[in-house]
Amino acid sequence: MSASTRSVAFDTPAREKAADAFGMWVFVGSEAMLFGAVMLVFFVARVSYGPAFAAASKHLSLTLGTLNTAVLITSSFTMALAHFYSDARRWRAAVGTLAATALLGIAFLAIKGTEYAMEFHEGIAPVLGAPFTFDGPDPVHAAFFFGLYFTMTALHGLHLACGIIVVAGLLALWRGADASSRKRRVQAVGLYWHFVDVVWVFLFPVLYLINR
Amino acid sequence: MSEIRKLAVAYVSLLLLLALTVGSSFFDLGGFNSGLNLAIAVAKAVIIATLFMHLATAGTLPRLAVAAAGLWLAILFGLTLAGQWGNGS
Repeated sequence: MSASTRSVAFDTPAREKAADAFGMWVFVGSEAMLFGAVMLVFFVARVSYGPAFAAASKHLSLTLGTLNTAVLITSSFTMALAHFYSDARRWRAAVGTLAATALLGIAFLAIKGTEYAMEFHEGIAPVLGAPFTFDGPDPVHAAFFFGLYFTMTALHGLHLACGIIVVAGLLALWRGADASSRKRRVQAVGLYWHFVDVVWVFLFPVLYLINR
Repeated sequence: MSEIRKLAVAYVSLLLLLALTVGSSFFDLGGFNSGLNLAIAVAKAVIIATLFMHLATAGTLPRLAVAAAGLWLAILFGLTLAGQWGNGS
């Protein structure tokens, strides 16, 4: 293992960094395909069953959804700070902001879990065999809305959970890593984290803000 | 420090756009609510991509990856929606 680059495949650290970033962006692009396809299904259903989707959307908690959006935006900000601090070799600040990022991610999942519990309690969670007792108009297509809502938010939550695990792993391996490894890892996990934030930026208005 | 200030401006802008999108949902804009919400979401995504993900200074390769993803998404959405509305449904 040469001192200048991590892999023998690269002549210079700059090329290695560029390859790292490109690889992450291609991965993010492939993730955009996954979420894009699910969003497209939702979009077509929303156009087809507008009134049912609007009525169903009113049963989601706008307060908790808005709070969660703010939490996730804040976590992206702390992640961007962690990237800045690791580039500046201010390691203590980098560790602090990375830990804050992971904690904010956990807070997001906790709030999301609270919402799920409320929705199961209200009987508007047509998943995992739970009873569905929606009393509005067109309950069949309302169930479709809630099915898509749980699919999209659970898929997003799964991605966020993976991000939290990777940040925790990065922190666990922090002491044994040299400066260039730290910077490259923070850059890579940062790109992923911001992408998961961007996904929520679209999910939030699409799910929570239909004709309120 | 100017880098931190730039990140802070991006952060505050994102929170203001969140307030704007939630606030606008309490007014009936006659069918433009969804369009406004999507426009605000795109604006937030652009802020996150350019300033948090450093796409503005990332060079050619990352932009190529983003452009490729955008192209395929455009084909996916374009052909599906053209079929959806082209059939008169």
